[in-house]
Amino acid sequence: MSSVTPPSEGPPKAETKPLNCPHCGAAITLRALGQAVVVVCEGCRSILDAQDPQLKILQTFQKAMASDPPLIPLGSRGKIRGTEYEVIGVQRRSIKVEGIRYLWHEYVLFNPYKGFRYLTEFQGHWNDVVVCKDQPIVDARLSIPLEANYLGEIYQHFQTADANSDFVLGEFPWQVRVGDQARLTDYIHPPRVLSREKTGSEITWSIGEYVYGQDLWNTFHLPGSPPEAMGVYENQPSPVGADVKAIWVVCGAFLICLLALMIGFEMQSKKENVFSVRYHLGSGDPTGEASFVTDVFELSGRTSDVQVTTWSDLQNTWIDVNYALINVDTGRAWDFGREISFYSGYDSDGAWSEGNRTDQVTVPSVPSGRYYLRIEPEVEPLHPPIEYTVELQRDVPVYSFYGIGFLALILPMAAVTWRSFSFERSRWSESDHPPSPIFTSSEDDS
Amino acid sequence: MIRMIYLVYGILVLAAVGAAEFRGWSLDSMSTVNNVPKSVRDNPGSYRSVYSSYHHYTGGK
Repeated sequence: MSSVTPPSEGPPKAETKPLNCPHCGAAITLRALGQAVVVVCEGCRSILDAQDPQLKILQTFQKAMASDPPLIPLGSRGKIRGTEYEVIGVQRRSIKVEGIRYLWHEYVLFNPYKGFRYLTEFQGHWNDVVVCKDQPIVDARLSIPLEANYLGEIYQHFQTADANSDFVLGEFPWQVRVGDQARLTDYIHPPRVLSREKTGSEITWSIGEYVYGQDLWNTFHLPGSPPEAMGVYENQPSPVGADVKAIWVVCGAFLICLLALMIGFEMQSKKENVFSVRYHLGSGDPTGEASFVTDVFELSGRTSDVQVTTWSDLQNTWIDVNYALINVDTGRAWDFGREISFYSGYDSDGAWSEGNRTDQVTVPSVPSGRYYLRIEPEVEPLHPPIEYTVELQRDVPVYSFYGIGFLALILPMAAVTWRSFSFERSRWSESDHPPSPIFTSSEDDS
Repeated sequence: MIRMIYLVYGILVLAAVGAAEFRGWSLDSMSTVNNVPKSVRDNPGSYRSVYSSYHHYTGGK
């Protein structure tokens, strides 16, 4: 890599040299003159020695790329990390895993001041790759170390496979050949991937970072849209993964605040007993007008709720009480009906009971003022004597709100966590360390 | 990004719970009636409750 500082104005222009292919005579332009090791003729696909003035033929092959043209044409220029690069070469490589062949493309990019970098593409997933400047640290005692440390960052082993070069075109900074084989080992720390490539006794480490196809299309001014990314790629950043732990911390803080809120309101709410009156309905009552009104009572303090509790010792019957909490001065009324029923007995299954002898209702946002209750009890005909009590409390905490708040805080977290969990499972399912299935069928068990 | 969205969302949830408690909101449904005549106090039967025709449970097992 050159240490020359690029000029401040305009992108650097690579030094080029027009030549002719010694095999087919087609024109060849050397874009990385002096730095490319081989160049592939675009006419006949002959691999030529770029450092030989006569362009000595190193290899010929007939494989056409018409059905699989490079997505980024050779000669395309675009800025990556502030530096303009030119695409000078492309190779198609493949690995075979469990009988299935997976193909990907590697593009060679060149800048005369910065040197080479690479773009890889697999099923719409792109990586911006450079050769490592420092040697990653791995446990050399293991044939395939499960971790690699690069610049203090731990990368997890993802996959090891033997790759084959199927097709090459353009210029390359190494002695590339169709049919070249290399052992590839990938370690990931999304959005980065650390790749170890072993060819014979030579080992090369490179570091890649996930990039989005649309960004490259914009960078290289390519027409149309990039191919849609399929599935989850090994170092694809999770849409939520990196944030899940941090969001749980925030969620925990919110839950503590919710608890503090509950304790605070519990302590400061007045829970003032406004009145408690017991009423009696004799057998067969009421015979005439059922409704009556209570004495006027005062509701003081700020606008807050009023809890009305009705309880009765009834047995195998019901009582329905229609209430109206009426403001003496404004004429505003809160109208609500409550029913209490309680039944019990014995049958072939034993003792049973249903219903409840107590009912509570909260009247919302009642301003201070003078009020009375209109009470209208309804009972079934021929009912037994019924006693019922009506109690009013002012400014009572409603704990249901905290339950709703708790769910409102937790449910999005559950969704985010599940999304992250599913994403990571999809990622690792393509690795050498697939996660164990969550559900196993009975066939699997047998 | 999601953390920021959740942060704002969580603050809104807490604010809503706090407002609900402070303002004395309720989850129970009820009707409000304005301008109830003062004569209701002397003649409670003149007031027609919304729930007067409520269907009553007459069950038991």
